[in-house]
Amino acid sequence: MTATSSTGRQDTPQDTAPTAPETVTLTLIQAVTEALRGELRRDDRVVVFGEDVGARGGVFLATAGLQAEFGVRRVFDTPLAEAAIVGAAVGMAVRGLRPVAEIQFADYIGPGFDQLTSQAAKLRYRSGGQFSCPMVVRTPSGGGVKGGHHHSQSPEAYYCHTPGLKVVMPSTPYDAMGLLRTAIRGEDPVMFFEPKRLYRAAKGEVPTADFTVEFGRAAVRRTGTDLTIVGYGGVMPDAEKAADALAAEGVSVEVLDLRTLVPWDREAVLASVEKTGRAVLVSEAPRIGNFMGEVASRIGEEAFGSLLAPVMQVAGFDTPYPYAQDRVYLPGPARILNACVKALQY
Amino acid sequence: MLEAFPLMPDQIVSEDGQLQPGETVTHTPAELRALWEQMTLVREFDRKLVTLLRQGRTTFYAQASGMEATQVGIATGLRPGHDWVWGYYRDQGVALGLGMTLHEIVSQMLGSNSDLNKGRQMPHHAGSARCRFVSGSSSIASQLPPAVGMAMAQAYLGLDEVTVVTFGDGATSEGDWHAALNMAAVQGAPCLFICENNQWAISTPVTRQTRAESIHIKARAYGMPGYFVDGNDVLAVQRAVRTLADGIRAGSGPVLLECLTYRVGSHSNADADAEKSYRTRDEVNAWTSRDPIERLERFMARQGQEIGAQDRAQVVARIHRDVEDAVARAEASGQPDWRTMLEDVYADTPSHLRHAYEDLRQEYGSGGTK
Ligand SMILES: Cc1ncc(C[n+]2csc(CCOP(=O)(O)OP(=O)(O)O)c2C)c(N)n1
Repeated sequence: MTATSSTGRQDTPQDTAPTAPETVTLTLIQAVTEALRGELRRDDRVVVFGEDVGARGGVFLATAGLQAEFGVRRVFDTPLAEAAIVGAAVGMAVRGLRPVAEIQFADYIGPGFDQLTSQAAKLRYRSGGQFSCPMVVRTPSGGGVKGGHHHSQSPEAYYCHTPGLKVVMPSTPYDAMGLLRTAIRGEDPVMFFEPKRLYRAAKGEVPTADFTVEFGRAAVRRTGTDLTIVGYGGVMPDAEKAADALAAEGVSVEVLDLRTLVPWDREAVLASVEKTGRAVLVSEAPRIGNFMGEVASRIGEEAFGSLLAPVMQVAGFDTPYPYAQDRVYLPGPARILNACVKALQY
Repeated sequence: MLEAFPLMPDQIVSEDGQLQPGETVTHTPAELRALWEQMTLVREFDRKLVTLLRQGRTTFYAQASGMEATQVGIATGLRPGHDWVWGYYRDQGVALGLGMTLHEIVSQMLGSNSDLNKGRQMPHHAGSARCRFVSGSSSIASQLPPAVGMAMAQAYLGLDEVTVVTFGDGATSEGDWHAALNMAAVQGAPCLFICENNQWAISTPVTRQTRAESIHIKARAYGMPGYFVDGNDVLAVQRAVRTLADGIRAGSGPVLLECLTYRVGSHSNADADAEKSYRTRDEVNAWTSRDPIERLERFMARQGQEIGAQDRAQVVARIHRDVEDAVARAEASGQPDWRTMLEDVYADTPSHLRHAYEDLRQEYGSGGTK
């Protein structure tokens, strides 16, 4: 948990370190709920809304209990209209609130896409910095839950491609809590993708005291010298399984979790690849236009001389997400391992 | 009588099964019996599928219980195999009514090899070209603009088909809904918009969805007529759909029909605790007592066509056997081969997907299912 990377960083940078040593064990989704609860308490400009977030507490129960605690002015259900949800968040943010909107599934942001890309992302820039949009759009994303293509997609690259948005995807309860706080307290619009298959599968220690996690800093999940695996979100447990398998064969693997894609931690990735000479980039989004293409391109440009093998990419397939082939589609430990072996044997 | 923008929903049969004053019913006993059996099929299908879910044999199901009259009325008011329907996920009653077989629907629910959609979609997204029931996206209201386009094509080609698009009350909040109604009205598209207003969008009641007093009156703003029927009265729904579809065929232009009904079960298996978390037992009980199947039974009894307990039990038992048989055959068909995952993305398989096939073959070998 506290391994130190080659760049001397801790795997869980704590910009505002917790003052008390106590921790609690939470699942990733509980960490989201607790972060929201904390921010609602801390700052009465924070409002939480979306489809079914109020009485029901969200379809995954990420907002369960918040309406009961904070009332319907601060935690409320909206009509079924993502354009209205995202667009309203922009207006609220401009006028001084801190909106945290939930989109029920990342697959359903579509109707709100125009508001995100035409309004939220550009307001600061087009106004010469006069206006800003301190808002967060939280949404469950990714596959592995037998949801078929409308409940399993990984659309983060659309948003990474839109300057003006920040894009986040945690894979641990600690990061979910720390990054969500940073997102809510920040001045820019943030797309906060929550890997739904880790909602209950990812459990971990989280400090009870306030802390945040800075954007743009990768976490080193384990240190190694032979090969670097870079991933984010739902693929992280499988990346670690592949690293375990390699460790059993005496291969020393470094595992980096990007945690935020815009901005992303170029320095940490380049430093690690310069050390190990091999990079395997893992994401479950379709391969064409996958965010990892950007990472690969940077490695090619800036760490070419250190490479002992081509940069390998493991991704979802360039097909809509299939229901019956849920497991075949995802880059599981076997496909990650294959790519590592190819890089090692190159 | 069906009239535009009424204050009260059109009814042919009252809740206690009496013919409303001024109404006549020309259905033969066999036709009434067929409606009853079709609604019973939808109800019992729900029962069996909920059991399958509990057994972990499918992963998602959204019941239509309470909405049988609306869905069977829609299907039987159309010309199956002729008119086109863009439905939504909860439309199993419409799909069955248009002629999709239990085996086809169950195969889709299980994502099995015998699924017409080849296991691509999550359960509850059946579609059949044969039945002119278009496989849907689950993105709420996204079916509406394409339905309008289809209707425009029908007009352009001079076909006497009608395009029907169905949706829940929640869908009427989406921009696509408004864009579609406006486009249809301006273009005079022969499109019948049908809102299956079951009064809840997951945990959001229709009163938090719109401040308008009903859905059908919204049609006025787009320049088309809005009609309102009791969605628990199968005869009223059937008549409205038939009348409006015929009117569209005769050149009336687009219309909006609201069927007022109620979803008695949960939204889906994801909120099986619906009563506890967002609605009251009393509300559900009140609507359960307005059961559309019982209403038809009461009406039939008054016509001297009583359905005996033994008769009903036999029909129910047969439906359960049929569903079990359909499930067994779907399960026996296995899972789609992993290779099929890469097909049908495009009409021709481009090079990058052929390369992906090679990647997968390295992992899974040359055949078999995974
Ligand atoms: C664009 C979009 N947003 C959110 C969802 C998630 N969702 C699935 S069903 C549903 C409620 C739909 O309610 P309604 O349209 O009234 O139909 P009903 O389920 O009540 O029949 C929601 C919010 C979705 N499928 N698509």
